[in-house]
Amino acid sequence: MGQERFADIVERFTHGSEAIPVSPEVSKRWQEEIERARLRMKNFARMMADPVEPKTGQTPRQEIYKKNKSRLYRYESARTYRTPVLFVPNLGISRPYIFDLLPGASFIEHMTRQGFDFYLLDWGVFGPEDNGLTLEDCVTRILPRMASKTLESSGASELTVLGYCMGAPLSACFVATHPEIAVRNFVNMAGPIDFAKVGLFGVWLDKRFFNVDRFVDVLGAVPADMVRAGFKLLKPTMDLSTNLNLWWNLWNDRYVEGFSALNKWANEYVAFPAEFFRQWVGDFYQQNKLYRGELRMGGRPVHLSRITCPVFVVGAKEDYIAPPESVKALLGAVGSGDKEYVELPGGHISLIAGRGAAVHCWPRVSRWLAPRS
Amino acid sequence: MDSSAATQQLFDLWKRQIEEGTKAWARMIGEVPGAAAVDPTAFWRPLMDQGITAWSRMLSQGPASPELLTQWKQFLDQWIEAWSKALGQAMGTEAFAQALGKYLDQWLVTQGPARKAGEQAMESILQSLGLPSRAQVTDVARQLVELEERVERLEDGIAALLKRADGK
Repeated sequence: MGQERFADIVERFTHGSEAIPVSPEVSKRWQEEIERARLRMKNFARMMADPVEPKTGQTPRQEIYKKNKSRLYRYESARTYRTPVLFVPNLGISRPYIFDLLPGASFIEHMTRQGFDFYLLDWGVFGPEDNGLTLEDCVTRILPRMASKTLESSGASELTVLGYCMGAPLSACFVATHPEIAVRNFVNMAGPIDFAKVGLFGVWLDKRFFNVDRFVDVLGAVPADMVRAGFKLLKPTMDLSTNLNLWWNLWNDRYVEGFSALNKWANEYVAFPAEFFRQWVGDFYQQNKLYRGELRMGGRPVHLSRITCPVFVVGAKEDYIAPPESVKALLGAVGSGDKEYVELPGGHISLIAGRGAAVHCWPRVSRWLAPRS
Repeated sequence: MDSSAATQQLFDLWKRQIEEGTKAWARMIGEVPGAAAVDPTAFWRPLMDQGITAWSRMLSQGPASPELLTQWKQFLDQWIEAWSKALGQAMGTEAFAQALGKYLDQWLVTQGPARKAGEQAMESILQSLGLPSRAQVTDVARQLVELEERVERLEDGIAALLKRADGK
């Protein structure tokens, strides 16, 4: 190639030295691609210059009970089914509006359209005054009250408890220790049960390497920034792939709308109360007491075998926060005769939010619940 | 010279530029006295080569089509996924967990006294201004939470008594 200039090669690459016929199909697709590039630039400029706050959580709801920071919301339906659903998400980490992100992309909207009266427990955002709140308090004081209020509000005699992520082991503890509250069905969505199989968090929080007492004693509550750092470390390439996908789909207004809502949620981390975190890491991650049957709450032993109602367990194939094997473990531990496990495509979040969830997860959950409600 | 040859030349030139650039970076890093020369590109180079070869092959087969962009996106996705897997494997080791634990311990050693000093300084400022300290406000909030809890227990007790009375 010698002294040939780079520009000359580009010139020949672009035009060729001979006329090459370009098919109408290829020509049309180039035109489409150029249009997409224009839309990308337009949407990018709009996002930078005039960012619009996405309107999340639009399904109508009613606050029916509050206890300290926690709230119980009712989402009314046509009530095709008698048994209401009490949804228990994670405490701390993130806000629960991910379950009602946007119209048409909302788990709550799906469930109410299917005819389930849906009750969402929003644990709230805790402050330093809540540092004494323990996980045991949540299981023995908050959850029973929320369940009673759900029954009271719906007028039903039984309820379905649906736990997601950390909400699932918490709910499992509650269902196993409160036989006086009639739980008709229990659903675990991406909630770890066997903490010996929880992947990276399990390794990092191993008691040989992580001194939870010291951590809590020095910091008090686990600040939201610390929670963010932990989750970012879990998947360091996440931001890169998120931004790459955003650029690729930036021409698509619907994608941009969904991205903005999800991005708002994904960057809103919530702190853990000090004593809650101590017990969560110490008893669950470090000693796996729930799965081993060594946990006691409110003076009662927590034996998962005491859960005898129908149980549905949903794991996500690419879940690195609650790997499927740690979720599936519930099936072997409960005393139920009617139990089922499904492993669906997606990760910890895409299992319950987004297009994939609307196709794979939500209909499976509502279909399983329908004949049992 | 036909267009496929031009395409090949373009990519050869591009590849050479990338290689020259990375060599220069590697030389620069390796120039630290006493340090062994490291190749920061060793991990992603095979992937990069693979992607460029695939792209070059596609271009040489006919006129450029928008499919190339899709291929490029797929290549980047695979590249990120490969990084993610490699990092995941490295971070899933006990050695990493140990290093992370040590780092956190050291951070807490400095963070503890710094936080305490900060809180004390803030308390004395607020005190001198005649304002309640953060600890005092937190105490009041805590008392409210406890009060709410007591009221709830009383409500529960009354409800239980009423239920019992109704039963009789």
